[in-house]
Amino acid sequence: MRPILIAFTAVVFTTAAWGRSADAPQQVSNADVQALLARIEKLEQRVAELEAKQSAASISPAAAPVQSSPKSAPSAAIAQAQQPRPAPATTTAEEMESMHTVLARAGEEYPDLKIRGFGDIDFGANSARGVNSGFQLGQFVLHFASALSPKVSYFAEVSLTATPGVYNVDLERTIIRYDWNDVAKFSFGRYHTPVNYWNTAFHHGAWLQTTIARPDMIVVGSRFIPVHFIGAQSEGSIPSGLLGAGYNLGIGNGRSLNIARAGDSGDINNNRAWLGNFYLRPPALRHFQIGGSVYHDEITLPSTTLLTDGQNFREWIASGHLIWNGETPEFYAEFANVHHRSELTGRTFDNQGGYVQIAYRLPFDAKKWKPYYRYDYLQVPGNEPTLPDFVNVRKSTLGMRYDISDFAAFKAEYRNGRGNPLPQRSNALALQTAFTF
Amino acid sequence: MIRRTRTIEMLLLTITLFGGVLSGNGQSKSNDVAVVVNPAAPVSDLTLSQARRIFRGDQQYWNADLPIVLLVRNPPSRERDVILKQLYSMTEAEFKQYWIAKIFRAEATSGPKIVYSNSMAADLVKVIPGAIAFMAARDVDPGLKVVKIDGHLPGDPQYPLR
Repeated sequence: MRPILIAFTAVVFTTAAWGRSADAPQQVSNADVQALLARIEKLEQRVAELEAKQSAASISPAAAPVQSSPKSAPSAAIAQAQQPRPAPATTTAEEMESMHTVLARAGEEYPDLKIRGFGDIDFGANSARGVNSGFQLGQFVLHFASALSPKVSYFAEVSLTATPGVYNVDLERTIIRYDWNDVAKFSFGRYHTPVNYWNTAFHHGAWLQTTIARPDMIVVGSRFIPVHFIGAQSEGSIPSGLLGAGYNLGIGNGRSLNIARAGDSGDINNNRAWLGNFYLRPPALRHFQIGGSVYHDEITLPSTTLLTDGQNFREWIASGHLIWNGETPEFYAEFANVHHRSELTGRTFDNQGGYVQIAYRLPFDAKKWKPYYRYDYLQVPGNEPTLPDFVNVRKSTLGMRYDISDFAAFKAEYRNGRGNPLPQRSNALALQTAFTF
Repeated sequence: MIRRTRTIEMLLLTITLFGGVLSGNGQSKSNDVAVVVNPAAPVSDLTLSQARRIFRGDQQYWNADLPIVLLVRNPPSRERDVILKQLYSMTEAEFKQYWIAKIFRAEATSGPKIVYSNSMAADLVKVIPGAIAFMAARDVDPGLKVVKIDGHLPGDPQYPLR
């Protein structure tokens, strides 16, 4: 038995070592760089020699000017260019090719981690009594993207949010993805739920979005739509020619006891949530997207809550979006119906939410100015047991974005309406500088 | 290390430019921009729409075994200007913002590889099996496969990338 075990172990280690050496990225070491520098010095010398020869030839009376003949037949340029080059340049070309290859490998090391950050600083003032004006640090967001192999990648998004007591650190997304091909990409982790366009287009990057705040239907900490989803997804494009169809399918934990949170540490019940998202993004209409989603879950409320309809509710979310994400104009419209049914009494509750946003990049001053308007709408019945004390929203936002650079912007907004969080109508002013780094 | 690599890249660019001048490549040849792939890539003809999907990173695989590797010239270059206008329909700033957003949305782990000359693009396309790049048609080397766009090769009157 023991010889078999030893042989098996040896085979495993040998195979692993062979596999490791086969898969090992070819690192660009200091020695490689030194060798490249030496080659560059040699090449510089050759260039100097060639320059000297060229200048000598140009003053020679025997030197004839180079004539260029017009190309009459199609593809003549390609045909001529694909003729073998003169022999004297071959050595230099080979050396250049060698250096290019070595330099290219520098970008093919795994893991290939790239980090990007997003931040924003805000000021807010509200006409409502008891609301203080003042500055506020927005979210500090770090995004990690790392290729682990040509077909395996990892993504993460971490946010730090200032709260009255401490900074709240949250792992917004952590996703490991295995690409089979463009049609099937399988992943596991914590996502922003793809039942809402905004939630998956801008995540927590305030700089990416035109406005200061997210729409009320998908605001951070929203109870209306589950912002996060923990589980597995398959996503990809659907071969559809000019339609540019794509999909997401997911299964996961669904909402936690606090329905604003996802079940990070486990599902609250034994009923998995699932979702499907389908969209069309025709390549001929670069800015256009239309799509819809369905989401199903079982919500379990805390047993300490006394409810005539019980603790368990079936949840169906149906949503749709119509997007033109260009600049002249920009148009977003989303709508969702959130349906809850008590498993105890069978009573049903339908909640609606949506928004319409339009913006236009002005043509003057290097296109730095972008005025925008958004109307937010949320309607939840007063007797909805899963969303108690929910404040319905009717709100208009009128704003201006000024891009001070390609990677930083100022935004100013006037808001008028009620909801989120104040029940009474109020006027508000908000300012923000948002950036990526 | 990064600074040294960048210095090397700048030197390569300089040498390549000198090489181009000395070898007379700047003479009047076609202004068309050729799309070239590694001969291993299973493609020889693309519609303009397909080319847009590929260069925008919406199609990332030739097939299940062969990921697409995008190679894009650094600015400023005429070839890059043509591709930004014809395939991306973006300004330089919009191009950068597009890839930032795409990576942030977890649709890609990185943007296109940057190449500093047509010769560097040609060399890399030869050694990277799934590579696709664009370059001045006059600089196309033997060993590269030139892809037809909407059925036309560079030099055809209807060729769209110029």
